[in-house]
Amino acid sequence: MTSPNALADTLQTVELADGVEIQLRVAGPAIRSLAWTIDACIAIACYIAAAIVMGMLGVFGMENVWEGVLLLFMFFFNWFYNVFFEMTRHGATPGQRFMGIKVASVNGGPVRLPQSLIRNLLRFIDFMPAFYLFGFLSTLCNQRFQRLGDLVADTVVVYADPKPANPLRVQINATPQPSPHPLSRPEQAAILQFIERAPLWSDDRRIELANLLSPLTGATGPEGLRRLCAIGLYLRQGHPSKKS
Amino acid sequence: MTSHQFEDENNHRWQRLEEVIDAVETKQPHEDIERLPTLFRQICHDLSIAQHRLYDSAIIDRLNRLAIAGYRTLERRLSGGWERLAHLILREFPQTVRQEKKLFWFNTLLFWAPFLFFAIWTPNDPEWAMRLLGPEGMVSMESMYGSHTSPQDYMREEFGSNFMMFAFYIYNNVGIDLRTFAGGLLAGIGTLFIVLFNGAHIGAATGYVHHACNPHTFYSFVAGHSAPELMGVVISGMAGMRLGLSLIHPGPHDRRTSLVLGGRRALLLILGACILTSIAAVIEGFWSANPMAPWIKYTFGAIVWSLTIAYLGFCGRRSHAT
Repeated sequence: MTSPNALADTLQTVELADGVEIQLRVAGPAIRSLAWTIDACIAIACYIAAAIVMGMLGVFGMENVWEGVLLLFMFFFNWFYNVFFEMTRHGATPGQRFMGIKVASVNGGPVRLPQSLIRNLLRFIDFMPAFYLFGFLSTLCNQRFQRLGDLVADTVVVYADPKPANPLRVQINATPQPSPHPLSRPEQAAILQFIERAPLWSDDRRIELANLLSPLTGATGPEGLRRLCAIGLYLRQGHPSKKS
Repeated sequence: MTSHQFEDENNHRWQRLEEVIDAVETKQPHEDIERLPTLFRQICHDLSIAQHRLYDSAIIDRLNRLAIAGYRTLERRLSGGWERLAHLILREFPQTVRQEKKLFWFNTLLFWAPFLFFAIWTPNDPEWAMRLLGPEGMVSMESMYGSHTSPQDYMREEFGSNFMMFAFYIYNNVGIDLRTFAGGLLAGIGTLFIVLFNGAHIGAATGYVHHACNPHTFYSFVAGHSAPELMGVVISGMAGMRLGLSLIHPGPHDRRTSLVLGGRRALLLILGACILTSIAAVIEGFWSANPMAPWIKYTFGAIVWSLTIAYLGFCGRRSHAT
């Protein structure tokens, strides 16, 4: 699937059947542990609440029945808490929703019931020998942060759609100028991203980064920055030969 | 064309798709709902163009998000519900058990060999069985099946204890099935260990009954639920070994693909095993402890064994006529 020499990145490219590539932001072990901790707290609270309720009902007789209900509750809660919530339309447990992550198929589609069952039944192994050691090691050994259950179920944990940020529209004062040398696509992309993000940085930072490109711009300091912006604006307008 | 021109020109389409996806999510009717596939394809096209032309990351992000959301919406399927479950029980599960013949016999051997060894050996030399059961195990065996008991006793006197025991069998026995399955991921070793230990433990209990208790009470108690319960143990072993084998012997696939494919097959097996074990829990909870003449219980047990074998052996076979 992914070539072995691909860069390790939280943006994982997936090709859909339509030939288009989408990018999934996979979630790492840190945020997943936090989500798990929240779920664990919810679980403990539910167990305590259930034990208290069943104990109180037991006062009115039929202790055996309530004890049985408690056992069944524990069985289903233990094994199927995650399956239940992953099957809702959010694809996430309360803890995962709170942290803004969700479970998805590797191909970006929603997680299905068989996948959810597999990844959660195998959680038992991921947890071994204690506190998800196997699962943690597994997330470090593959590019998509998949624990063992994820590998078998073919699922990933991804960031749920973030709210779209308001794009910053800042006028850059420079006259567009073509680059003195032909630029490759990654180079063009880097310069475009630079002028897109430059308004977020301090002057010193902009100049520091622009100085790295002094071989291209032939200048350092504010003058180098100005020339870099000029090239960026030229690229942004669209290359004359690529008009559509 | 600059990013802004591109955005201005196509924005109405993107907004349309956003509206349609929202409508599907909130289950509201929308006039354009039938155009969802078309809108989705257009978004994919726009995304490719935007990626190729190195447009602003804000636009690419938005299109990427829309493409994912559209894909998820299109890929949503209503699950088959009860029909799917019936298909699983009546066809897929028994068919898979028959297809995995080697695994079936391997796990049968894995479970029954230690069982028979301990059941036969213990009356001569109860030392090992006593170690295996531990003092608490022996006490509880004697209180249930001790030599002072008879098959006609009512084994649970309190009201509601049948239900409690049923719940306990679900919690404990189905839980063991699920762990047996999961243990397969440790290259099958976890499964191997659980099935072997299960066979040895149940065998030791049987042997100990012959040594110190009243076998008649024991056999009439277990007759009814033994078939689905022991088959459940064997088949959850199959599920775990299926998973373990896909890991250590991927065959023509790469290891990751082999695990995914093996996992799907193993899931069918473990779901079936859980259903069998749950049936056993119902019988053990509500039938096995009732005070009834032993011959009724033995007859019932024989019927359940034949039904279980017939179900696994013949259910879902395609008739040759069609």
